[in-house]
Amino acid sequence: MKIFSSLILSVALVAPFQILHSADIPDRPEKLSFPPLKYDAPVPDQYRVQLKSGPVAYIVPDHERPLVNITVYVRTGKYLELAGKEGLAELTGWLLTHGGAGTNSASQFEERVAFLGAQLESSIGDTQGNVGLNLLSKDLDAGLGLLRDVLYAPRFQDDKITLRKQQTLQAMKQRNDDSSAIEDREADFLAHGEKFWANRYSTSNSIDSITRRDLEEFHYQWFWPSNFVIAITGDFERDAMIAKLEKVFSSGPNVIAMDRELRTGTPPPIPTNIVFAAPGVYLVNKPDVDQGRVSLMLPGIQRGNPDYYAVVIMNNILGGGGFTSHLMNRIRSDEGLAYSVYSSFPPGVYYPGTFTIAFQSKSRTVAYACAIALEETKRMSAQPVSDAELNLSKKSIIEGFPNFFNTKEKIVEQFAMDEFTGRHAKDPQFWQNFRANIQSVTKEDVLRVAKKYLTPDKFAVLVVGNQADILLGYPTHPVDLKTLFGSFHEWPLRDPMTMQPLAPQK
Amino acid sequence: MQLSSYARFSLALERRMLIVCLITQFMTALNKIALTWFALFIFQFALIATLSAQEVHVVEKTLTNGLTLLMVERHDDPSVAGGWVAHVGSANESPGITGIAHLFEHMMFKGTTSIGTTDYKRDFEILAEQEKIRDEMRAEESKMRAAWRRGGVDDWQKPENWTPYYRELQKQFQELVLEERKVIVKNEIWKIYQANGGNGMNAFTMDDMTAYFVGVPANKLELWMWLESERIFHPVFREFYAERDVVFEERRMRYDSTPLGPSEEAFNALFWQSLPYSWPTIGWPSDISSISKPQADAFHAMFYSPQNITLILVGDFDPKQVAAMAEKYFGRIPRGKNNPPDLVTTEMKQPAEKRMNAEVAANPQVDIMWHTVPFAHKDSYALQILAQLLSTHTGRLYKGLVLGSGVATDISASQNSQKWAGWFDISGEAADGHTPEEVENGIYAELDKLKRDPVPPEELQKVKNNFAAEQYRQLNSNLNILQNLIFNDGEGDWREINAAQPKLEAVTAADVMRVANEYFKKDNRAVATFTRKPETAAAESK
Repeated sequence: MKIFSSLILSVALVAPFQILHSADIPDRPEKLSFPPLKYDAPVPDQYRVQLKSGPVAYIVPDHERPLVNITVYVRTGKYLELAGKEGLAELTGWLLTHGGAGTNSASQFEERVAFLGAQLESSIGDTQGNVGLNLLSKDLDAGLGLLRDVLYAPRFQDDKITLRKQQTLQAMKQRNDDSSAIEDREADFLAHGEKFWANRYSTSNSIDSITRRDLEEFHYQWFWPSNFVIAITGDFERDAMIAKLEKVFSSGPNVIAMDRELRTGTPPPIPTNIVFAAPGVYLVNKPDVDQGRVSLMLPGIQRGNPDYYAVVIMNNILGGGGFTSHLMNRIRSDEGLAYSVYSSFPPGVYYPGTFTIAFQSKSRTVAYACAIALEETKRMSAQPVSDAELNLSKKSIIEGFPNFFNTKEKIVEQFAMDEFTGRHAKDPQFWQNFRANIQSVTKEDVLRVAKKYLTPDKFAVLVVGNQADILLGYPTHPVDLKTLFGSFHEWPLRDPMTMQPLAPQK
Repeated sequence: MQLSSYARFSLALERRMLIVCLITQFMTALNKIALTWFALFIFQFALIATLSAQEVHVVEKTLTNGLTLLMVERHDDPSVAGGWVAHVGSANESPGITGIAHLFEHMMFKGTTSIGTTDYKRDFEILAEQEKIRDEMRAEESKMRAAWRRGGVDDWQKPENWTPYYRELQKQFQELVLEERKVIVKNEIWKIYQANGGNGMNAFTMDDMTAYFVGVPANKLELWMWLESERIFHPVFREFYAERDVVFEERRMRYDSTPLGPSEEAFNALFWQSLPYSWPTIGWPSDISSISKPQADAFHAMFYSPQNITLILVGDFDPKQVAAMAEKYFGRIPRGKNNPPDLVTTEMKQPAEKRMNAEVAANPQVDIMWHTVPFAHKDSYALQILAQLLSTHTGRLYKGLVLGSGVATDISASQNSQKWAGWFDISGEAADGHTPEEVENGIYAELDKLKRDPVPPEELQKVKNNFAAEQYRQLNSNLNILQNLIFNDGEGDWREINAAQPKLEAVTAADVMRVANEYFKKDNRAVATFTRKPETAAAESK
């Protein structure tokens, strides 16, 4: 590599001293002036339509491309599964579009969708179901017919039930293969408790026990018009679309003969019986990886909490703001201990969220990086942030606000979710007031919420990685992970097919 | 599952692509949204070459210094997505400095002579002092490597194995790091963008390109011009050695600590013999930890010249004004004296089939790669159609091996065309009670049918309909259009964004049969079979 001669190198080092900015290019960006840009947040009620057939829809025509995109949100979820039937919601969600529908068998249905070049997908998660259709606007009527069949007349073909069960059981076997999957799962156990509904995982037994009747009943119980919220955008005229939607949703063909009493009305509220783990380090030994994954967790807040805006700013400065945050500056930029390091403080929609600091570091510097994270957390609640930091944080959120709504899809999907989660009913001015609420946060507010929520003696710290190397630590920065957060626990893996704890690996 | 072939392509690319990914976390902080931003992003690349003619109206200008400017006007939203692609990637590296293109990408966020420091003269003095110590450290590292070669130490990078002198040098270097911190304004580029509504700031490196991009409010376009021209013109690589450690952690996260990462890296190196696609874009571990700042400076001088860069802007602006502004800001960067060297090494023709078997902490599976053709090659379109015929739940592999014989649980195919070469990839997971070899044989049986019988017209049309709809899906935001242009330009020609779709439309059943016979030959393929490491099965399920 002769090309890397010192002569060439010196150019890069010396040249800048000789460069002068041309007269009309200022030497600092602050000297530039910009034309004003006024941005008004979109108003939900401009897009909101209460359909006579039941659902609320958010509708935005957009003629730029010849496509239509529809998402149907369904009030259902894993939380409605009966004990022993774990996996039913997910299986139902998948089979809606893969088990045949209406007059089409599964293969006819999939071929039909494929020939249209359409996307028609469905899933049921923890607290909602989604059915999404995206297709060329010229095929809209055909697509709406298929969508209606999925929503009202899925066939749950037996061979597809068998196939999906087999795929699900096989995927289960990989539950302990990837340390990030282990971390995600066990973090939920620590943050919400062993008995929390979201931690009732499918097992080989629960999957085996699911019958076609279970699927039909679960679907029938929750898939009816007033239980849907719809987001729709694309190449159509608004009034014509409303008429089409009324038709789709009003005449659900009830091909599954079933007792109507199954439909008990609005789904029950989502249980909130969270049990947060006792403070300490919980280490899952995964000897075959050379990087430890760490989540430091504290109990968080729920939507509607008056501290929300101060919490947003506080978290942004601590670790949510990317490269400008304290955690990123210390753990990544200064020390080179992690590639990804951040904190998040999401307000829970139905129950309090979890405050989390997360990073990954080579086994032997895990403890050192933990000590820095702890130190930065304490610093946040010990001293006020600077004016410059406060202002930067506010500006980044306020100036970046238009990005929440910079495509038509984002507008309707955000508003449909607000409808779905009840925010539109409770706080219809949320987005209109968002920037002013952020602007009103003071340094005192930030300090106050830091003291209130960043309680370092309550940290539940999950570590997944090579236990021996992690506990060995790093000679130039010795930190005892066993005492850093009070107690220390070896936290077992779970048998992937039964989810029962296994003996800790040695 | 209409898009599993694309998704598969995305995965294939993900193995080789690196992204500094931070905005996801920022967004999560505000809202409980599980953004799969990174994945969606790559997905956009996967849809290249599916746009119809005149779909994207691009205005092209060449600045006086040779820099190319592409502009797409779009007044849907008062914002602009701005990016630039340097035509350099890991394929332009050489042994010893593998990973430098990507490390360099990280360094481009460290500031300039005027950004990121309160006193650049003092900063430069300290940087020079740091390099003196680093020279001595490199000499010492050389001795420690020699000791390792002779079996004196098990791993010279373990802190316990460092020589006393090396420890002393470490200490001295650390003092200079602390000294430099007094004049550093940390991550100032990021701060300036954030304070001005910048969003989605990120960058990525692949074999053939390095790209940088950010979204800004439409009224802040001049700020983008100022900052981006400044960092191409006057970059300063501060905190170089800490960033090297960051990249090493990125490597551990993406590859070393994942179930398949190490084996896939080995398989990739087995597949490519002579072409420098054989090493991972993130670099070999030994190289990441020894790349020097002087090497990075030289890399910049060679590859970051205006004639090797394309600027791309998509959004709410007037192209005439923007072209003038670009000339003012970017036009001041002097044209490089020499054009970057062309990559002359070509891939050797395989003399025989290549095979490897790996025991991994994952379900049994098979991965097969064939050498095919580079970006915009005339056969690449028929190969893309062929990949789509094989993929998705209505494709031949799923029907044949998952629904039919039942030997597989999931399977997908993709054609991947890059600047210097391309490959076709099929991978599938064996169903319980079946082996990767059964899946492999099932794949060959499906390919044999395609070699023997023409594809029925209806099936071909179905696949083409899918491409036709896809062409629009990716155009839903300024950022996605920008990504498409970056990718096409980086691989060889931005015009493919409009030119590819008619070529896909023109593919015939005879073309598909011809390319099937041309490329799916035994001595043109590499096969990796993966079986579960017994101890991971024992620990997991009995």
